[in-house]
Amino acid sequence: MIETRGLTKRFGDVLAVDNLSLDVAEGEVFGLLGPNGAGKTTTVRMLTCLIAPTDGEAWVNGHKVGEEDTAIRRCVGILTESPGLYERLNAQQNLALYAKLYGVDDVAGQVEKYLRMLGLWERRIEPVGGFSKGMKQKLAIARALIHEPKVVFLDEPTASLDPEAARLVRDFIVEVKGEGRTIFLCTHNLDEADRLCDRIAVMRQHLIQVDTPARLRQSLYGRKVVVQLQEISPAVLAAVRELPFVHQVQQEDRRLIVRLDDPEAQNPILVRRVVEAGGAVQFVTEQHHSLEEVYFTLINEERAADSRTQEAVQ
Amino acid sequence: MSTRIWAIVEKEWAEMLKNKMIVVTMALLPILLVGMVLGTIFFMQRMPEDEVSGSGAPPLPPQLQHLDPKTAFIIVMNDQYMFYFMLIPMTLPVYIAAYSIIGEKETKSLEPLLATPIATWELLTAKSIAAVTPAVVLTWLSFLVLLVGAWFIATDAVFLALIRPVWLLAMAVLSPLFALLSVLSGVIASSRMNDPRAAQQLTGIFIVPVIAVSLAVLAGKIFVDMQLVLYAAMVLVMIDLLVLYFAVKLFQRETILTRWK
Repeated sequence: MIETRGLTKRFGDVLAVDNLSLDVAEGEVFGLLGPNGAGKTTTVRMLTCLIAPTDGEAWVNGHKVGEEDTAIRRCVGILTESPGLYERLNAQQNLALYAKLYGVDDVAGQVEKYLRMLGLWERRIEPVGGFSKGMKQKLAIARALIHEPKVVFLDEPTASLDPEAARLVRDFIVEVKGEGRTIFLCTHNLDEADRLCDRIAVMRQHLIQVDTPARLRQSLYGRKVVVQLQEISPAVLAAVRELPFVHQVQQEDRRLIVRLDDPEAQNPILVRRVVEAGGAVQFVTEQHHSLEEVYFTLINEERAADSRTQEAVQ
Repeated sequence: MSTRIWAIVEKEWAEMLKNKMIVVTMALLPILLVGMVLGTIFFMQRMPEDEVSGSGAPPLPPQLQHLDPKTAFIIVMNDQYMFYFMLIPMTLPVYIAAYSIIGEKETKSLEPLLATPIATWELLTAKSIAAVTPAVVLTWLSFLVLLVGAWFIATDAVFLALIRPVWLLAMAVLSPLFALLSVLSGVIASSRMNDPRAAQQLTGIFIVPVIAVSLAVLAGKIFVDMQLVLYAAMVLVMIDLLVLYFAVKLFQRETILTRWK
């Protein structure tokens, strides 16, 4: 549904996006993560034909960026960083304007559908300026969907929202996801990305890594099992280390953190060996790494690599 | 008119009507001008003839020589005011035009708007129509009020001079074309500058040629007749189209979105 090949954007001497190649499948929720200035918004702007790439190629829903811009604009919806609503106008007028701009046939029906879906129907004639941040954000998302686009770009959809409003917006995104649309989500909220995205890409001007959150965790940390014991004796530690499938063993207080490839198959053997060595097992669980850990590991590795490159150049 | 153009026009008007200060301030100038013209007619008709057509008065145009000097002088004065009526649609929408793109950028509504399939020419045309129409309608309304007032207080000769076909044509055709020129210039300024005040000041420059022509008429250097109005209308249509073309060419979506802070 979205394909980029070597997509690059320069603003004068500043390289905003460098050689970005991505593929986003139809119906996928794709998260784009990166620090401020990483080029996420610039990427979205290029893919929605708001700005032109300096180099490279991109296709959205089969239409080429730079050649079929109007066709792309017709089939994508965008939620920008700021809702950008007309605050003197009411919710109905805001949505109706965009429905007409996108050439929706049944403007009134479509506006009513989304206002009811968002729980804003009763407040449809109130000026948007009086709405809460969460309501404005939901209205802005509805504006992005009013023409039923195949691809939706959401740039920081829950930024600066309180937890309740953020949850409302997230729930709405889940509903949209359920309709089978392709969602391209830029966010700083890693927990949100973890919950909503099928795959994520981490970028800092260029692409650092792209995969499912689970596979990213596994590729960075492997799978780890935590075995908590009443007491850890040297015999237990040695017994675990001797197991051929154990890659790494760490001891933290009364817990053994064991890196395995296939915990489902290997855990029973591991537990049996611990018990045979005299260990009293209290519980066994898999250690989970948050997406935040994954993100910082990738970004820090990237920064360290950059520093090394700069030192080498100097 | 395309649905997209009309949608933007509707939006602009809805926003304008929600801002009462804009509506009130737009109505002030026409009201003042109507009052000034009617006041001039009323008082000058009651002044002694030698005070009105004394030695300081400008020479009368040949086509008014058959009238008594006082009536002829009032008609010359009114002709001068007619130019000011044409200035109304040029000055009233200047702020709206100057704010048209900058305002969207300031409220951060420009990016989602530009992400829709609207073409640049459609957006600029819509913005121009939205700014020109209220100003032209106000001008026409105020001219109508002037005629009604003049019908009551002016002599037949003065009243008939006000409804000369040349002025009716000028009001109907030149006035919207001048307004469009002013507004398009404002839209260009708005899409090239990031401060509405600077854009507004630049747009003010376009009023100067009209004032110059009005002074030339007062000095008897130009005589306004049907032929001149028609020529002026044709030239203005071409200039307006040219300015619209340049407005579209000069509208840099990327620059506006990425470099304006």
